[in-house]
Amino acid sequence: MTIPLNYFLILAAALFATGAVGFLLRRNLLVLLMSIELMLNAVNLTLVTFNRMHGADHNGQILAFFIIAIAAAEAAVGLAIVLAFFRLRNSVRSDEANTLKN
Amino acid sequence: MELFSTQFPANDFAVIGLVLALPLIGAFVNGVFGRRLGNDGVRTMALSACGGSFLLSLFCFLAVAFYPQQDGEHVRLVWKAWEWFSVDGQLRQAIPIEVAFSVDALSGTMMLVVTGVGFLIHLYSTGYMAKDPGFYRFFAYLNLFIFSMLVLILGDNLAVLFVGWEGVGLCSYLLIGFWYDDEKKAAAGKKAFITNRIGDLGLLIAMAMLIYYVGTLDWKGLESGSAALMTSRTVWPLGNLSSTALPQFLAEWLTPESPIRIQAATLVGMALFVGCVGKSAQIPLYVWLPDAMAGPTPVSALIHAATMVTAGVYLVARCSFIFVLSPATMALVAGTGAFTALLAATIAFTQNDLKKVLAYSTVSQLGFMFIGVGVGAFAAGFFHVITHAFFKGCLFLCAGSVIHAMHARIHDDDASQDMRNMGGLRKYMPTTHWTFLVSCLAIAGAPLLSGFWSKDELLFKAFKNQITTTNSSLWVPPEWFGQAIYAVGVIAALGTAFYMFRAYFMTFHGDFRGWKIIKRWKASAHEHHHEEHHEEHDEEHDAPREGPVPHESPRSMTIPLMVLATLAIFAGFLYAEPLHIAPLEHFWKPVFARADALVVAREGAHAMMWPLLGVGVAIFAAGAGAAYWVYVLQGGEPAKRFVTSFPRLHALIYDKWRIDELYELTVIGLIDAMGETAAQFDRWVVDGIIAKLTAIVVTIGGTILRALHTGRVQVYAASMVLGTAAIGWFVLSPHAEVDIDTSSLRVSGNATFTAAPGHGYKYRWYDEGTDPPETFTTEASYTTQIRGCETKRVHLEVQNALGTTTRESFDQCREIVPNCCKEVGEEPPKLPTGLPGATPALPKLPEIPNMPKPGRYDAGVLQQILPGNRPAPKRDRPKAPAKPRVPNKGDVR
Repeated sequence: MTIPLNYFLILAAALFATGAVGFLLRRNLLVLLMSIELMLNAVNLTLVTFNRMHGADHNGQILAFFIIAIAAAEAAVGLAIVLAFFRLRNSVRSDEANTLKN
Repeated sequence: MELFSTQFPANDFAVIGLVLALPLIGAFVNGVFGRRLGNDGVRTMALSACGGSFLLSLFCFLAVAFYPQQDGEHVRLVWKAWEWFSVDGQLRQAIPIEVAFSVDALSGTMMLVVTGVGFLIHLYSTGYMAKDPGFYRFFAYLNLFIFSMLVLILGDNLAVLFVGWEGVGLCSYLLIGFWYDDEKKAAAGKKAFITNRIGDLGLLIAMAMLIYYVGTLDWKGLESGSAALMTSRTVWPLGNLSSTALPQFLAEWLTPESPIRIQAATLVGMALFVGCVGKSAQIPLYVWLPDAMAGPTPVSALIHAATMVTAGVYLVARCSFIFVLSPATMALVAGTGAFTALLAATIAFTQNDLKKVLAYSTVSQLGFMFIGVGVGAFAAGFFHVITHAFFKGCLFLCAGSVIHAMHARIHDDDASQDMRNMGGLRKYMPTTHWTFLVSCLAIAGAPLLSGFWSKDELLFKAFKNQITTTNSSLWVPPEWFGQAIYAVGVIAALGTAFYMFRAYFMTFHGDFRGWKIIKRWKASAHEHHHEEHHEEHDEEHDAPREGPVPHESPRSMTIPLMVLATLAIFAGFLYAEPLHIAPLEHFWKPVFARADALVVAREGAHAMMWPLLGVGVAIFAAGAGAAYWVYVLQGGEPAKRFVTSFPRLHALIYDKWRIDELYELTVIGLIDAMGETAAQFDRWVVDGIIAKLTAIVVTIGGTILRALHTGRVQVYAASMVLGTAAIGWFVLSPHAEVDIDTSSLRVSGNATFTAAPGHGYKYRWYDEGTDPPETFTTEASYTTQIRGCETKRVHLEVQNALGTTTRESFDQCREIVPNCCKEVGEEPPKLPTGLPGATPALPKLPEIPNMPKPGRYDAGVLQQILPGNRPAPKRDRPKAPAKPRVPNKGDVR
């Protein structure tokens, strides 16, 4: 039994929407980072799905690997920033990152 | 000699590069490393740079003098450094401007003077400036000046000459304002620079005209192409200014009956002369030179007496072949020279500042030089440049020596130059005294000294010469013009003898008056801002002051004096024409050959040579004798009586005829007023309105944007999401945009609609009132027929790849008469009757039998009824005021 490719796309869209809404609504920096990961993985899923549609080349899969690498780097930097921020403000709430305001 | 000319070919004479490089290196080393080198190092560098340049100049001079040549050929040794740029000529041809240098008889002599006198003055300056903290800076400027002056002299074309011309102007500015912390001196530098700029504009214009008329700027090309300047050019009305383009009263006033035409040579010559007037301090631009005496005295000697100010004379001599083409320009040169010589001499009578006397004397002598070159005596005029460099250089250096001695006593810049504080200095400074006396005799024209030969030669030539022209339509000065110039020159020469000996007697004879400074000596000098300052010290000034006795200057300063004085005595024999000893004239002959051909001697004038020489001796004796009588025998009493009996005249002359004040009121006042207007505009319009308005807009914008700028990362992310969504929606929705081609609409009624392309777009076109087609096609353009005055509505539906459709409608009218367009759906009028908006005044055509009625016809019917194809009616046709109209669609007008 093969699952229709549309299902993958709908799942990816759902994942992306979850990530985006999470990013917009949550205030916890760690959750924000996870939301970003969710969105990136949704994109990865889309890419792999489209690659499946056009079976002749593997550009979609290659791009997905790049995105995984970038996501890892982004997570490292993002966590470092969160750590530094926590040391500064003793909190991981994004709305407390307001030192530059006013 | 053969070997020499192969080693140093005439078209690649690279020694010139070395002559130029040495002072430039000197300027660079002294300017950049001078502070670290110390005074000894700076002195060695400057002297060796200038001295080496002098030796190499001597080599160049000898090379020119003895270069193997064909008979009478003009020897010119050229060194081309590099291509500079090229400009378009009159015929769009490329005219290369090269950085090229050349040395010939004229420039060879001049470079010898510049480097020779320059070296002596460098040597002198090592003594004069020894205690100045800006020692290295001074020598850097001085070397840079020598370099610029050499570029000016050696430039093989007018463009390179201009570089040197500007360079010496810059050095002059730097050196006049050398003590820049004194505001008066800095202002004098600026005055010199700005006044020179006015003249330089003339030189630039002359260059542009030469490029246009002759098509080259290098001396050789100008000399051979100068015939192109004989054409006359319309100078008024300007360009395409015609009577039709202007209002009536302006046209009458601005466009004369016959256009004013001036010979090109006159235009070029006058523009060149404007440059010379600025650089060589002639009326009306001479005002900067007396102020330039604010610089150190060696600078006055080198730049403002011996070399730079004579650049104008050099330029006239260099371009002699252009100047002689126009008798009017020559008359202008000679007239300006004569007038300047006289005016400056009168001012020199009353000045008490030793350097000011010499400065006005320089202006006056420059006037003599212009008399020389203006009457066609180019060799004599230029010879006066050389002798003047010797004796005036010497006089200035003597003045410097005197000031050096006085300054050691008085410690006041102005007081140490005032002749009323001097007197009797011959006892204390014998060398300075003797050299001053010799130079004074030379400039006054004592027989057998250099000034006698050069000045009397050029005055005699002024009496003798006439400029001829091949073009009879040109203005030629009247017969008496030469004699008038001569008479003015003689009066100026008489003045020269008087004021020079006045200066000599006041400085070196009588008793030394510097023991006691004249009480409030400055009060009469019209410098009221100093007055208060001096009143405090009055008691001090009244009492004889202790201080060092005036002393002779050090060896480094007296040696140049003696060398220059020797030259001032003997240089005259290089060009003593009455004695037939004139090697320089023969040397220069090829340079001036082309110009001399147009200069003729008046009949019988040659016999006047010896009598006129007698006049020269007489005026020297009269001038010097009068000065002796007034200032030695009578102790200056007649001069004082003159001051008391004509106080206002004396004040007027003492104030230099108030020319500066006149300029202050007119030219400078005008520019100040313009500047003030611009400043007011800036203050009220730019700052008051525009700047405030901008600030308000920015403030409002900032306030709005600040509200959006919450600092929460989610808000930014949300706006990003919104933006992305908006762009996505725009990209994904179909767009019906249309470009309507109406080029053939009027004639044929066809309008072509072309829709903008897009990915996967399909289109459906239909006119208003018709049913849309069943399917979408990829056809992006659609052509429809529109009747006259009808407005047609065309609908377009666009479907994109996602199946979304958008619909847009476009109205297009065929406007065959203005404003005839009907509403959409309204029936257009039947043509040709009853055209709305068509001119009702159209005369009603008489009935023509078989006039075709409007409507559609078959080709066969047309064949029958069209006028050419049917038999003409028997009776006369009525004369129709307009062509009988054939109801051809779209061709109503």
